Amino acid sequence: MKKVLAVARWEYIEKVRTKAFLIGLFLTPLIMIGMGVLPGLLATQEDRASKSIGIIDRTGEIGAAFIERLQNNYTLPSKSPNYLVQLLASGPTGDLEQQMARADGMVKDGAIEGYCLVRGTTLADTTVEYRSLAVGDFVLQSRVEETLRTIVAERRAMLRGIDANLLRELRVKLDIHTTKLSKTGEKEQEGDFLTTFFSAYVFMMMLFTLIVGSGQALVRSVIEEKSNRIVEVLVSSCSPTELMAGKVLGLSGLGFTQITFWTLLGVAATVKFGIQIVPPANAAILIIYFILGYLLYAGIFIAAGSPLTTEQAAQQVTSYLVLILLIPIVLAFPAMKSPDALWIRILTFIPVLTPTMMALRIPIQMPEPWEILATIGLMVLSIWGVMVAAGRIFRIGILMTGKGPNLAELLRWIRTG
Amino acid sequence: MLSVQHLRKTFSTVVAVDDVSFDVQRGEIFGLLGPNGAGKTTTIRAILNILLPDSGIITFDGQPFNAQTRNLVGYLPEERGLYRKSRLLDTILYFSDLRGMPRHDAKRKAMLWLERFGLADRANRKVEELSKGNQQKVQFITSVLHNPPLLIMDEPFTGLDPVNQLLFQDVFQELRQQGKAIIFSTHQMDQAERLSDSLCLINRGRVVLGGSVREVKQRYGSNTLHVEFEGDGEFLRSVPGVRRAMVYANAAEIDLAPDVKVSSVIHDMNGRLELRKLELREPSLQSIFLQVVGEPVVTGGTPS
Repeated sequence: MKKVLAVARWEYIEKVRTKAFLIGLFLTPLIMIGMGVLPGLLATQEDRASKSIGIIDRTGEIGAAFIERLQNNYTLPSKSPNYLVQLLASGPTGDLEQQMARADGMVKDGAIEGYCLVRGTTLADTTVEYRSLAVGDFVLQSRVEETLRTIVAERRAMLRGIDANLLRELRVKLDIHTTKLSKTGEKEQEGDFLTTFFSAYVFMMMLFTLIVGSGQALVRSVIEEKSNRIVEVLVSSCSPTELMAGKVLGLSGLGFTQITFWTLLGVAATVKFGIQIVPPANAAILIIYFILGYLLYAGIFIAAGSPLTTEQAAQQVTSYLVLILLIPIVLAFPAMKSPDALWIRILTFIPVLTPTMMALRIPIQMPEPWEILATIGLMVLSIWGVMVAAGRIFRIGILMTGKGPNLAELLRWIRTG
Repeated sequence: MLSVQHLRKTFSTVVAVDDVSFDVQRGEIFGLLGPNGAGKTTTIRAILNILLPDSGIITFDGQPFNAQTRNLVGYLPEERGLYRKSRLLDTILYFSDLRGMPRHDAKRKAMLWLERFGLADRANRKVEELSKGNQQKVQFITSVLHNPPLLIMDEPFTGLDPVNQLLFQDVFQELRQQGKAIIFSTHQMDQAERLSDSLCLINRGRVVLGGSVREVKQRYGSNTLHVEFEGDGEFLRSVPGVRRAMVYANAAEIDLAPDVKVSSVIHDMNGRLELRKLELREPSLQSIFLQVVGEPVVTGGTPS
């Protein structure tokens, strides 16, 4: 045990001291926040100057109302209108081709940002096209769409003799507020889809980062010791099992240092901004899955990494393992929609997916107690199995140089350990 | 101290070591000799339990390899390597931790050794900032710090300049004086001859020669002529009565056939070489090896 701790301490201290670790510690949360928040912020950023757009109204009934509403409803912080609308043509007369050619020209010259082309009649077959060089401005597009829809609906109502005010009254805007119920029927937690998704997402990202980070560190340290043959001195001073256990322990410590640091950051942010991320009652179960998942992958990384001899081969193997880890992240949305679906439940019972699948399911709907117990039992068993196999592969693999073993050889190592 | 009996190890179809036996005593420098690929490193790895032998018994003071005997051994592997990004002292202390040494004791001794090797002022530098020779010194310290009674050094002198080779040899002698058993492997026969008390010569996985150096040499008689000269000594190979001659730039070692008079050989040399020194004594290990194996020692090529 003393030797295990000696190895663990070495791996921990030597890695904590590296610049890469410190950079990762601060940079990763920044990148994650950056990726999650910045694009949204930038996309929804208010315009600073008025934008000019045009409209070709072949119905001849919409143009004036469109201009009025778009200019009045949306204003810049400086109170001037956000959009300046020009009526380029109105009514079914006139050559459409010519009108469009002229308008297209204005767009290309930069005189207007883009223009709406309204065809058909307001009563039956209205179609609208927005033509612009930059069709990515979805704020503008949704505003144009909303304005046009209201106008067309009002026109249709009027033509059928319905009062426009009545229509406005009938069109209610509703926000759906979700309340999550537990099996006993009590109200358990109020929250919305986003909070739930975010809890699961944060959990998965943390597990992912931890596993990939420490898994790679594990493989890299084995390969370094193999390539400079330090490993020979090591295994002449302690048993391979002690060495492996020490590495897993030390690098776990490293990973958990990271996670703790990030969690503290997260808690600080939560307190500051009043966001609730994980409901505390579920956190305990999630942490169990977290640790089990970490250990399972540590074993897999050792088994996969110790027969390798080059950094390149290691990168290849670890990137495959990363792909397995990505599966649940891809499945996040369908799983949220129906957390009780049979296929989701089946996936939950595959040990390499269990922690992340549970992270998805638990915040949405607590699985049955037997499912929790069975998956934990299954994970403990597979960790045991993987660790034994990894230990046997490690013992032989760390002393191997040159060509790596093939699958048949690996299996023989495991059997004859 | 160490006893190796009937060691055998095969790698798939290649027999790396076959029926190798030897004993190493305390206070003895033991040379494990042989050309590259002879099986020296395989033998060493088997002793250290890095490789599991196919058969054979290895004991330390009568005990098989176990957690206790592990700490009796200090090992310097053939390939030089340390954690490049780590500091000297930290690296040394890590290995002493693994040997179960108390930290304060380890630190004190580490500083003494660093002092001895002229590296004390660089204790907190990173390993990668050191020259190769200096890294080798650090590696040596990691293998001796826990004061093991048995030291196993795989090619300890390769990569060292002459000054540091001498330094290492001095340290070896010192450790021998302290009663330690030192095994070192080499393919340089002259070095083994100078340093070791006993030896085991391996060729193609088999022991071809073993025992104390003095005894081995006596066994091969004293019918060898060591000459130093000026001139081209190439013709010495074909002088009558010469069984084998190793000719160098300014010296030669001539193995005479039995019953050949030295005077007749000298007579043949007269006028063709400017003789500086001439001595009749036992053959060098190099020459003995040639006699035993019947082929020149291959130097260079891939390490075992």
